[in-house]
Amino acid sequence: MYYLANGLPIGAIYALVALGYSLIYASAGVLNWSQGDMVMLGAYIGYSLHRLLGLNYVLSLLISMLVVACVGMLVERTVLHSLRKRSSPSINVVIGTLGVAIICRNVALAIWGPDAQPFPSPVGSTPINIGNLRVLPQDILIVALGVALMLLLQYFLKYTREGKALRAVAQDRMAASLMGVDVGKADMLAFAASAAMGAAAGILIAPLFFVTFNMGAGIGLKGFVAAVVGGLGNIPGAIAGGFFLGLIESLASGKISSGYRDAIAFSVLIMVLWLKPSGLFSRTTKETV
Amino acid sequence: MNKVRKLFTSLLILVVGIAVILPPCSGSSSGKALKIGVVGPETGGSAQLGQSQRRAIQMACDEINEGKLAGDWKLEPYFQDDEGNPTKAASVTNKLLQETRVHTIIGAINSSCTLAVMVHTQRAGIPQITAGSTGASITEQGNKWIFRTAVNDSHQASALMTYASETLNLKKVSTFTAADDYGQSGAKLLKAAADKAGIEVVVEATYNSGDKDFKPQLLSMKEKGTEAIFLWGVYIEAALIANQARLLGMDCQIFGASGMASPKLMELGGEAVEGMILTQSFLPESDNPWVQKFVDNYKKKFGDNPIPHAAQAYDSVYILADAVKRIDTTAPAKLRDAIAGTSGLELVTGSPEFNPTGDDVGKRVLITRIEKGAFGLVEAIVIGQ
Amino acid sequence: MKSHKLTSSLKGLHKWVLIAVVLSIPFVVTNLYYLHLINLIGIYSLVVIGLNILSGYTGQVSMGQAGFFAVGTYTSALLMMKLQAPFWVATVMAAIVAAIFGVVIAIPALRLTGPYLVMATVGFGEIIRLVLVNWVPVTKGAAGLTGIPAPSFFGFTVFSERSFFYLIYAVVALGILVAVRISRSKIGRTFMAIREDELAAESMGVPTNIYKVAAFAIGAAYAGVAGSIFGSFSGVASPDGFTFDDSVGFLCMSVIGGNRSIFGALIGSITLTLLSELLRFMQSYRLIVYGAILLLTAIFMPQGLSGLGPILREFLSRRKRDKKSYDDVQCSQRKGR
Repeated sequence: MYYLANGLPIGAIYALVALGYSLIYASAGVLNWSQGDMVMLGAYIGYSLHRLLGLNYVLSLLISMLVVACVGMLVERTVLHSLRKRSSPSINVVIGTLGVAIICRNVALAIWGPDAQPFPSPVGSTPINIGNLRVLPQDILIVALGVALMLLLQYFLKYTREGKALRAVAQDRMAASLMGVDVGKADMLAFAASAAMGAAAGILIAPLFFVTFNMGAGIGLKGFVAAVVGGLGNIPGAIAGGFFLGLIESLASGKISSGYRDAIAFSVLIMVLWLKPSGLFSRTTKETV
Repeated sequence: MNKVRKLFTSLLILVVGIAVILPPCSGSSSGKALKIGVVGPETGGSAQLGQSQRRAIQMACDEINEGKLAGDWKLEPYFQDDEGNPTKAASVTNKLLQETRVHTIIGAINSSCTLAVMVHTQRAGIPQITAGSTGASITEQGNKWIFRTAVNDSHQASALMTYASETLNLKKVSTFTAADDYGQSGAKLLKAAADKAGIEVVVEATYNSGDKDFKPQLLSMKEKGTEAIFLWGVYIEAALIANQARLLGMDCQIFGASGMASPKLMELGGEAVEGMILTQSFLPESDNPWVQKFVDNYKKKFGDNPIPHAAQAYDSVYILADAVKRIDTTAPAKLRDAIAGTSGLELVTGSPEFNPTGDDVGKRVLITRIEKGAFGLVEAIVIGQ
Repeated sequence: MKSHKLTSSLKGLHKWVLIAVVLSIPFVVTNLYYLHLINLIGIYSLVVIGLNILSGYTGQVSMGQAGFFAVGTYTSALLMMKLQAPFWVATVMAAIVAAIFGVVIAIPALRLTGPYLVMATVGFGEIIRLVLVNWVPVTKGAAGLTGIPAPSFFGFTVFSERSFFYLIYAVVALGILVAVRISRSKIGRTFMAIREDELAAESMGVPTNIYKVAAFAIGAAYAGVAGSIFGSFSGVASPDGFTFDDSVGFLCMSVIGGNRSIFGALIGSITLTLLSELLRFMQSYRLIVYGAILLLTAIFMPQGLSGLGPILREFLSRRKRDKKSYDDVQCSQRKGR
């Protein structure tokens, strides 16, 4: 029960980041390696608005998501769009977005400096007792807002015109294109939504883990793991994968040697992939080239 | 064979091309200048340490040059970024030695990088001072070119454990250390010091740098009835651990070492780090005139209180200035001997004196406690005594 | 398949001039810093050649190559330090042990493609690094190994940058030869068949699994040999030198250079190693520019830098059209054999 409570908030964060990977993979069929740095950018922009300019938390969150979504679209235009025009191999997208990640990280270092910045929680830091569990209000906020954002994304995908177009592209790019769906626009939308999710994750996690210029690397990799476990391109899978990873980590570090924890987690992952090559939560095997 | 030939040709053209494009080395020295190469991580995970080191060294050189504190000698620092990667550290050391033709090197911060730099300074016969690396193996190499102005961890560990056992009368403690060279050497030294002080170590936990969730390890310490937790790592993790220990309702004493002694610790840790006891090499609030002058100038220039790494780097420059002033030459062997013979200097972190392995034994170790968001002095110990 | 358009009349002379020039490099480049970089480039290009055999020829992407590199370094260093094994024995063992690791990772990776394979190799690299950090009694933990012995052959010790140059480039030359042999053999052609269409290859009766495992093992063995030399070359080894970023760096070299040719591996390691050093004058903005260059190269040179080769050759061959047709005939005859 304790491990459950401990794993949920971090799981929600992983899920948000994993959603970003999956959404882009579903629509454009590529890996966006700068996803983690969108988390970092989101956290820093939120920090600047909230701490330095004194804007309120919710407003900072929304503006930051908007700004980072624009960055996401920019990434799509510069990297993916240009690469598609030249019909490059998909590994080039990884290298291209990696270049974006390096740029983001070092621009952040130049602007905000190398020190970690504190980001006080909007809901205070007095633990709340629920039964025999002590929980931070921020933990509850993370889970609540995280789930809300996931539901919002689902709503967007299911009931809006743009969302439907995106899903159509994810299902069959060629067919969607023939049906008159603007696939380029769908890609851009996927990048924007993913970046916004990342930014939200960054701002939500900041009060717990502070803001640093290289926070994106760790969270980005974990988010990728979660997305892969859930089956890339599978939206509910990404959410499940995020929470699954959060719980596994919480359990593993409590029960297993802490130094080897990540090594064990990765070994388990490789085994999982071996047994179920397209993710733990995937229903159908998706051919990828 | 056609392909082989082609490959060879390309290889050839490229390698020769490099040789042609790259300009020949220039070893010009302007007047009486002591060229100091500085190696440290200015980007990457430990960027805050490398950038502090850079600032402090730049400041010290400016002060010395303005005040003519090294006689006719001007100090010229040349900064290179090693990204915390030992291979890069070796490359930039070569660049500094071969291209800039530096007379001495200050660096690096990560012990793995310092060890990689040492290979090349030893080969070239150039004295090196590390202001940031604490790993025990650095001064165990039998390398006479290396000096260390970072605080020796074993003194810190024993000072903390002695304080815990004699003053606080603690019996059961846990260590919680980073799984990097700093933390691993700390864990070993803490265990040894605890055995000597007659304290039982009930949990020896580690974490990987970048970890964010420490509750599982803390929980197991709580279950074992630990009375104190000894941390060995940097401030980000220390602040997180203190926060999470408080969340779990643990009110045991937390100890830490100089690596996390930064104003950022209080800024990030807030209430949770109140009462934490740390050893460090200098206190920004101290009334020692050297410390005051250093902290005032640093604050004026950069707006922050300096961290211990900065103070040690700052002192290293003064040690070099003193050495070059005494011997009035940059001949490496003489410079090395002059550094080894340093004595009677009053600097920010003590009055440096090197033992035969190159460790500074003239340092002060200060036991401090965090009270109302600031470090307060509890006890000062001079290592040599 | 690449160079058939050039005449071969000067072949013999070319080769000797080339060898002579390569051998004289350490005497021309007297600045040891550049020689150090040239040596590093040699070591990296070995790793990248291995990676290109894996990813370029069979289409399997590895983001864990630093793991094999680390296995090679530590295996060889520990053998030399603990058992006083001679350098060449240690290097052969490094290759073998790395290849075994390659097989171990290849088996679960067999069923994986695309991002899932990337994930598995990332995981492998991280596992190796974490074991190096935490297995303190053997690996000396995060501070790493120090005092790795210099290689010595028949009483002659390879110690200076100059002597390392000859050692490293002798091995690189050998590595290129082996790689070329592999790519021209049945194995190489099978690798490429797998890359182009695995299903078709399998239906033609090719045991694709065995070939895929072999590609991993070969790639790993290259990294292992490179690691062994790297350990002796640096004298120290620590987990900090074998991080995820290093794996990504190798992949970048492979892709930027062009991962479908051995030539690309050389171009990639030369370009990125020099780039990160030449940009140093920009101080803290260096990495921003580095990132931008990665980005632009990925966008504008889809085949990597070596992809420029054919374009250039096309341009040249237009002037020698008659010559070209003759060479093409020659080539197809050679291929047919």
